[in-house]
This record gives sequence, C-alpha cells and structure tokens, in this order.
Amino acid sequence: MKKELINLTINGAPYELEVEPNLILNTLLRDRLGLTGTKISCGEGECGACTILVDGKPMLSCSMLAVAANGKNITTIEGLAKDGELHIIQKKFIEKGAIQCGYCSPGMILAVKALLDENPNPTSADVKKAIGGNLCRCTGYVKIVDAALAAAKA
Amino acid sequence: MFRTLKPFEYLEPKTLEEATKALSKRGAQAKVYAAGVDLVPRMRKRVIEPKCIVNIQNVKELDDVIAAKGKGVRIGSLASKRSIELSSLIKEKYFVLHEAISSIVSVQVKSQGTAVGNLCVATPASDVATALYVLDAKLNVFGPSGERQIPIDEFYLGVGKTVLEPAEIITEILLPAPAANTGGAFAKLVRTAEDIAKVNAAASITLDKGVCKDVRISLGSVAPTVVRAKKAEAILRGKKVDQKLIEQAAKAAAEEVAPITDLRSTAAYRKETSGVLVKRVLTKALERAQA
Amino acid sequence: MTTKHKAVGKRITQKDAVLKATGEGIYVADVNLPGQLWGKVLHSPYAHANIKKIDKSKAEALPGVKAVITFEDTPKILYARSFRDQPLSPTKALQRSDEYILSDKCRYWGDAIAAVAAVDEETAEKAIGLIEVEYEVLPFVLDPRDAVKPGAPVIQDWAPNNIPVSGPCPPFLKKGDVNKGFEESDVVVEGTFFSMKQIIGQLEPQSCVANYDSNGRITIYSPCQLAHPFRRELAKMFGVGSGMITVNSTAFVGGSFGCRLSCHNEPIAIMLSKVARKPVKLIYSKEEDFCNIDSRTPDYITCKLGMKKDGTLHSLRVDTMAWASGYLSRAMLAGSITLVWGMGHYRCNNIDGSFQVVYTNTPLSGAMRGFGNPEVMWAVDQLMHEAAVKLGLDPVEVALKNAKKPGEPSNMGGLPLESTYLEDCIKRGAEAIGWKEKYGKNKGGTGTKKRGVGMSTMTHCSDGWPLLLAHSGAMIKFNEDGSVNLVCHPGSPGTHIWGSLAQVAAETIGIPVEDVHISGMNTDVTVFDLGSHASRSMYVTGNAVKIAAQKAKKELLDYAAKMMVEDPDDLDVDGREIYVKSNPAKRIPVREVAHEAIFGARGDGYTPAGIGCWNSTYSSPPTAAYFAEVEVDTETYEVKVLKFVTAMDCGKAINPMTVEGQCEGGIQNGMGHGLTENYVYDEKTGKPLSLNYTTYKMPGALDMPDETQIILIDKPDPKGPYGAKGVGEPALVGIAPAIANAVYDAIGVRIYDQPITPEKLMKAMKEKA
Repeated sequence: MKKELINLTINGAPYELEVEPNLILNTLLRDRLGLTGTKISCGEGECGACTILVDGKPMLSCSMLAVAANGKNITTIEGLAKDGELHIIQKKFIEKGAIQCGYCSPGMILAVKALLDENPNPTSADVKKAIGGNLCRCTGYVKIVDAALAAAKA
Repeated sequence: MFRTLKPFEYLEPKTLEEATKALSKRGAQAKVYAAGVDLVPRMRKRVIEPKCIVNIQNVKELDDVIAAKGKGVRIGSLASKRSIELSSLIKEKYFVLHEAISSIVSVQVKSQGTAVGNLCVATPASDVATALYVLDAKLNVFGPSGERQIPIDEFYLGVGKTVLEPAEIITEILLPAPAANTGGAFAKLVRTAEDIAKVNAAASITLDKGVCKDVRISLGSVAPTVVRAKKAEAILRGKKVDQKLIEQAAKAAAEEVAPITDLRSTAAYRKETSGVLVKRVLTKALERAQA
Repeated sequence: MTTKHKAVGKRITQKDAVLKATGEGIYVADVNLPGQLWGKVLHSPYAHANIKKIDKSKAEALPGVKAVITFEDTPKILYARSFRDQPLSPTKALQRSDEYILSDKCRYWGDAIAAVAAVDEETAEKAIGLIEVEYEVLPFVLDPRDAVKPGAPVIQDWAPNNIPVSGPCPPFLKKGDVNKGFEESDVVVEGTFFSMKQIIGQLEPQSCVANYDSNGRITIYSPCQLAHPFRRELAKMFGVGSGMITVNSTAFVGGSFGCRLSCHNEPIAIMLSKVARKPVKLIYSKEEDFCNIDSRTPDYITCKLGMKKDGTLHSLRVDTMAWASGYLSRAMLAGSITLVWGMGHYRCNNIDGSFQVVYTNTPLSGAMRGFGNPEVMWAVDQLMHEAAVKLGLDPVEVALKNAKKPGEPSNMGGLPLESTYLEDCIKRGAEAIGWKEKYGKNKGGTGTKKRGVGMSTMTHCSDGWPLLLAHSGAMIKFNEDGSVNLVCHPGSPGTHIWGSLAQVAAETIGIPVEDVHISGMNTDVTVFDLGSHASRSMYVTGNAVKIAAQKAKKELLDYAAKMMVEDPDDLDVDGREIYVKSNPAKRIPVREVAHEAIFGARGDGYTPAGIGCWNSTYSSPPTAAYFAEVEVDTETYEVKVLKFVTAMDCGKAINPMTVEGQCEGGIQNGMGHGLTENYVYDEKTGKPLSLNYTTYKMPGALDMPDETQIILIDKPDPKGPYGAKGVGEPALVGIAPAIANAVYDAIGVRIYDQPITPEKLMKAMKEKA
C-alpha cells in the first residue's frame, strides 16, 4: 500500500507526515503523534469520545481517514491550554466537578468549545444539544451543563 | 471486532471525469469517500471491505454551497448536514428539511457527514430522505454516460440499494421553488435522542384559499424504502383541511406501511405510531401553511 | 458540639481532574513499554461449539507475528475471574473455578479461544483471520428458564443440569413463616420480574499491558479494582508466587461500574507476553466490551409480598433465578445477593426465599453498580407500590412505616444498623418532588400527556462483612517538604475516592489537602486492600487512612517534641505549622520538622510514617429514597422523566460535590436500566445483536430529566471515618423502580420486564382496555 504525504496543522503546529491510506485519524493522533488526549471508545461515531475540531468544527476522529485530514487545521484537547494556562472551559469543568473518570472529558470539552465559539450565550437546552452526541456514563451530564454555562458567563 | 482497517488502494481525483473513470474501472470494489462518517466504521467492522477508496473532497466540480438556483435552491453534494441546518435559506423556504436535520442529535455527525452521503447509505430510516420526499427533491448525477437527474422518490430500490451505478456520483440536490402558503413538518420516534428513527414522518401542505391545493406525506423506517402515503394524500387533496380530515388521512397512512420488528421497535408499534406521527406532522404543516 | 472540619465536608476540586481536562492522564492504553507487541483475541463465532482442531500455522508464519496461543498453550489450571475460588469470605464459601485463560470450548458467542501478539495491531488483526478453527457446532440455550429444562444442552460438564449454584434463604434473613404470613395479610401481591442484562457501558474499552520478564516477574498494567485478590489469582494461574507479580492499577480508568472488579483480557496478555518474551498491549474494541467482559447479571425475580391494612409489610418471599454466562464469572453471588438486599431492607416478620444461578450460552454476567440491589428492588418496590394502591394507602406512608431504625438487624448478616436516616430521605425527597400535590393527581398533564410520580427506597452496604472479608490498609509517609504520600489501593474508576481519602488524611493530620499526594497503586508497594467494590472504599479504606494518618502524625509530633523541647501530647498541627496547644504562639513549620527527621543527620533520623489497617465488622449501610416524576404520551407511549429527586443518606459527605456527582450519574444509569437499554440476541444463532452504542442505547444529555435534585442528608455514622458511609452504588439502586411506579401512577400500567419501552406500554394499555 503506497503511503500518502499529508500536510496539516495540529494545535497550531505544522506537520508533514507520510501515512498509509488505511490509517484512521484517531490512531495517527494517539499512536503516531503521542496525542493521547483524544480518546477511542465506540469507533463508530456514536459516543463522541474521539471528538476533535477540524477547521473549528467538531468531528469524529474515529470516523475519518488520516489522509483526508490533508490541508486541515485540527485542534485536539492538548491544543486548548495556552502557555500553561487552562482554557476557561477546562477550568470550569474542574471547578464544577464535571469530570469523573475523565474519558469523555476531552471530547465533551471540545464539543462545548465548538458551541461557545458559535454561540457565546447559550441556554442549558443549547448546551444539551451541543453535547447530544457525547456519551457519559459517570456524571449524568448535570455538572457538565453547569460547567459549560459557567464558562459562557465567565 | 477489529480496530484497524484493511489495506486499500487510495485515489484522490481532481475532476468528476477522473473520479467516474476510476470508479468505472473498479466497479463495486470501490467506494466513494466524502466524509467517512458512515464508511470508516463500516470498514472497521468488516461490514464492507472495499479494495479502493475514492476521496471526492477535492473534485473541483463538487462543492458544499447552498444557494438559489433558478426559482429553487441547490445543495452541493459536499455540503455537511450541519451547514444545511444552519442555512437561513433552507430554514426559511424548506423548513421541513431544517426540522429533519435538527432532529439528528450529534453535532459531530452533522458537521462531518454530508446530506448526500446520508442518502447514498440508503437506510429507510434516513431523516434527510423522508424530508426530501415531501419537497419533491431531485438529485443531479454525473456518470460515465454523462449527467442525469433522478427524482428522490425514484432513487431507492430497497434497503442499502439505490439506482446509482457504481461509477455515478451525485453532484447536487435540487429543491424546487416552494409554492406560496406551504407549510412543512417533520417528526420522529427514537429510543434515546441520539438514535436512528424507529419511525419518522414528514408532511408538506400547500393551501389555496384555505383549501388543500397539494399535499405530500412520507414515512420512513416502516418499509424497505421511504413510503409516500399517496392514499392518505388523496383524502386531503382539494379539500378544506380540518382536524377530522387529518385524522382520517393519518389512519389511511398507517395502512400504507409495512413495518418490521427489529431491535429498535415492533411492527405493531410502528404501524400504530405511523398514524400518530402523520397526524402530528399534518397538524403542524397546516398551522405553518396558514401562518 | 459540632466539629468544624477543615477538609472533610468541603467541595474540594480534584487534582486528577486537571490531567483529565488536559488529556494528560495516562490510561492503560496510553502506557507503552519498550519493544511492546500488540495483542488480539480470536472470539468464538458460535454460541456453543466444541473446538475440534485449531491450525495456527498460517498465522504463525505471517511476518511480524511473535506468538499465537490457544488453550493448548496455556496452563491447564481452572480459575475464576471473580477471584472467589480462593478464600475471601468468613463463610468459607468458595466459587468453583470454571474457566481457563483461553477456552477449551466455545460457551458463548464472543468466548476467547485464541490470541496473537504481533509487531503492530494491523498484523495482529490479520493473523487472527489466518487462524483456522474447526468447530463442532452444538445446540445452544440463551434463556435460563430453558437451560434448566431436562434435555437442555449441557454447558459445563460438571453441572449437567446447568445449575452451578443454588440455595435457600440465608439463615440470617429467614424469619417466621411466610405462608402463614400471606394468610394473615390483608392484601397479597406477586409477580415475576425481569431485570435486564445491563451493559456496563464504561467509555474506556477494556485494556491492559502485560510483561512477563526474564526474571519471571509478571507486571500487569490494568484497570482492575481488586488488585490484591487479582494478584493472588494470577499467582494461582501462572504458578508463581504473589511476590513475583506486580499489579499496577492505573490512576486513570475510564469508568468501571463493576466490570473492572474482575480480570478480563489480562491473563491472555500475560500469556502472550510469556510466549513472545516481550511486553504485550491488548486493547479491546467496543464490540469486544459488549460480548467479552462482565455485564450486570440479568435475573428473573419472583416476588410475593403480603401487607396489613395499616401498611405493615407482613410477609415477603423472593426467589431469584440469576442468568449466568457459560462461566460463573461474578454471577455466582448474583443470585443470593439479591436476597440480601431485597429481604434485608424493609422490616418484616416473615421472610423466606431461594436463589439459583443458571449457566447459559450468553456473554459474561457479573456485577454492575448495585450488584443485585437495583435488580431486586425493581421487583420489591413495584410490589410495595401495588400493595399500597390496593389498600388505598400512600406509598410514602407505607415506606416510612416499614423503614428500619438504627440498631435493628441490617441486611448484612443481621448485624445491627449502626445508622440509618431513611426516614429523613423519604420525607425530604417526597417534599422535594411535590408528592402530596402530584401523587394520583395527573398534575400538569394536558391532552394526551399523563403525569405521575413514583418512589423507591433501598438499603445497600458500606462493605460486604460478614459475607466477605472486609479489611483495608493504607500507608502515609512524610516528605521532607512537609507533604505526605498517601499510598493505598482502592482502585480509581473515576469516583474520586483518592481525593476524598486525601481529605480524610488531611483532616486527621491537620495539613492542607494540597499537601497530600496520592501515590503508587502498585501491589509491590501497597498493603492489602480488598479493593473498590460494595461501595466500601470510603468507609473501610477511609478508616484505614485515618489510622495511618494518626500514626504518621504521632511520629512527626514525636520528632517535633524533641526539637521544640515540649511534651508531644501538647502539640498539634495547624495547616503547615506545628504549635504548642498550651502556648499557641510557639510554632514550627511542619516542613522543618520533616526535613530534620529525614535529612537532619542528628543520629536519630527516620521517616515519619504510619501504616493503618481497619477491619469492618460493622454494618453501616447507606440508605436512600428516590422520587421520579414522569409524563407519558398516551399516543406514542414515550416516557419522559420530568424531574428526579434522590435523597441520599451516605453518612457524612466527605466531598459533597463528588457525592452529588455520583448520584447524578446514577440517575443516568438507572434511567437506562429502566427505560432505554436492552441487550438482545439473534435467536437463530445466539449472537448478540447489541454490540455497540448504536444498537444499545444509553441515555444522553437530551434524555435526562430537565430537573434533578440531590438531597444529601449528611448525618454521621458512628463507625465511618468522620461519619462517612458508601455512596457509589446506592446512587443507582432505586432509579428504575421509582420510574416504573411513576408510570403506573400516570397511566395505570405496570411493566414487569425491563426496559419499559413504548412498545410494551402500548401493548399493555391495549390489553388493559
């Protein structure tokens, strides 16, 4: 299988990589680039744990080929904190107790980021819609919604 | 129960000509990749094992633009479901499509996946398809023998089957100009909010001085392809629509479906709630047509 | 006199939450050892089959493959993945070991029958496809009611009737004469209820990294929460001493809810590592999670209860048929434990029952949050409601009437209840849901939408004594900067137990919580802790931490006394300083004393430290009351939960924010258990159809009630550390029964088989009409 050369930006840094066409984007991020913040769970686009931002839009890294990320601008959870300062969404998730096992948290935080980038003043119904594709087994979503609203107000 | 994909040949054609040539040569062994949201998981689960993937994201003749075309609107085949949902043009003129896409809960699936891709999966539960049926949508298709246009209600052959030849690619969805005093509505039933529809329904009513000039009713997930409830439509067409007539039409619609029992629901439940959903979408569509 | 706490009772944010928010937290799949290979398991494609022949030659010949193993390559030592085939109980009851590392026969679709280790995952998966297996397909049986019939396929040769375990009512629960009791009752209600096979649904797939090194040491990175029993079981399986095995419980585990009590793919990974002589990483796909790790054990629960017209529960009989897999796993206890919860909760003078555990050709049944309590209360509390309705009584009054008081015999071996605030839970919860205004009144229901409220109550446990051994240890040592390392091994499934234990340590010593570093969940370093299960970690490990902290504090103050020339009994710790109680102005930094003790080179140096151990020989169970308000659409039969109130008595809430989080999460789990989750099979092949989140629906954010309210009674238990009891499992127990009772209040229909689906409601309403 011939490798393909791709050029993309991840968390603001440029990457030039040779990848096999059958490499799933999630595997590229986690296993090749050590960006293990993006999780893998269902592998069929249903749970949202693998959520990343592609050109600012939330997408599922388990359901994308790495080759198709050519030319794209990707943000993973590792790209949120700036110069050691956590993003306000991360701070509020911690403060409000919205993180238990943490496995859904990176995807959840990025889904909330995508929401707040589009709608800086959401209602709790808006937040629930924004995280509708992110499953959590631990929190019952209550403190996640609290955290998102608190981040919006901050 | 695998985590990796099997190897395949990978092509990134730059033109429609290149794309259809490549697909033509490989036939059913090749699959088109527009977003991956349906394709990659199916490949991972070994449901399909294509020998070739043709990525059409960079085909110059394809786009994601939603814009007026003639008196109607065209949706580029690379348009994500989310962009259609956010389009004020669609929300204003084809609300039933907006409502159908809004009912899909995952923002990720909508941001990544295309509406056309969703149609090509050919699941009878497609919310997009059910809505497009009542809009009389048409699909522009490009293939080795050139261009053709396929009305949406002639597109499906059965579960997972469409009339598309292996080398054909949908280039755009065309929506005809909506008539004045038209209202549309969509509804569905699910196990949890993020779920494939057990039953979905859409309706579009056009009024002329309070009389139903035209009506479309469609139901999904209740037969191998989306059902146009034509007998139900006949009850309403040309009449003054009231709640009693709507209930009559709903009852007739429930007789036009042939649902199965599967892990989402039962045939009996789907049959009965087909009528309920049709009643609800007709009621809403009428309200919106009157507004 | 109310004690003012500095750390206990505070809504302190969790240190590990930062690393979870940034993605830095290292879960098992993120652990990498040099030269590691990737493992992959071959699963049975049949529900029941003999393995006639396995040809692994083609797989072994594939370049990059370093090991291919089958049953033939593994030690022929039967084990139990629940670890209960070795002593763990004062009752001396042992589970029979009934499985090998790789199965000798396919006993369920998904059973592990071979495994591969290769240089990368793609090669490993390719190799799996090259293993050629000749099967002799056998008739299979899915339902335990069919499995116990004569002529049913025999699944394990040693249990030809497919019943590996059965028994009568435990003697400490049996009371009076149930049949006479039914005759004396004013109303008798009964039914057979089905509690479904709830999939754990934890987001992190089951994963591990194993290394069998040249010293013969087995090192395993695993999410397993019962690390010390796991180590002992591995010692048995591999024929090495426990001291030659290192179980590293990762600090970051993506949820457990019971599946990480057992080991799953770890023994396979260890075996691969032994053969390949390299570390092996084995990560399951989500489909493998759905068919090859523990789920909640499904049960058929036949329940009969008799009530007097004043609401007194007079007679209660519970007979449970627990639906095990082709292997016992953790289902062995699943049957009898339902009796403990169901019969041990309400006060009742006539109690009897029985249990049976049945082998079937279905994937592993084990323990899930609540372990039998949600299952049995699904039956008992629906019947309690039914009896109340028949007598024209208010279910809230009936629950209050039958709630036990402190000192009465509890569910755990009849030990007296150290504390219970169930009455508070019931009263406050009823008020919060608006019970008086809503019960039987369809308040707010308009048109085709009907509303109702329902409730449920429960008693759980804060450990398994006297049914299970119940001690835990902890170690605390000072660092020269005045901070401490807290070394204990409760497991870390996301419940923030570590953070709460740090609060206990901080409170006991007097130093700030930030100065307690939680460290080293590794069996080489930790003293015995049974692990996290039975909601025990706060109560038992918490007490052990308290004792360890007291000892470490004494060693610190002894050294401080020498430095300050004071009586050690006259010293105490206040934040980062040690002060003289009779002369508070005289102070010395903790840091200075610790540094001197360790580095001072005075000739009397030592590390101030302490090891604590606590045996729980008491019964301090958490209690709770649950209230649901639902709206049923009588055209589509969709059930919407409008509001949910959980009133929780878990003793003193060490960290109220954490406790709320547990309760809120429990509502999601319980709603799934009662309304949306359903594990189904292809009846023709025995293959599960529910193999991922698309087919098996767990509630998402949009399915949750618009309003949830968690009421923490927050009154102390005399034996718990600072008065704390357990809360992890109680969070879930009564959710589904409360919803079922609310549905009944709304539309007068009761569903006995979970989940309550609109399809079942429609069918039941039509039959009622």
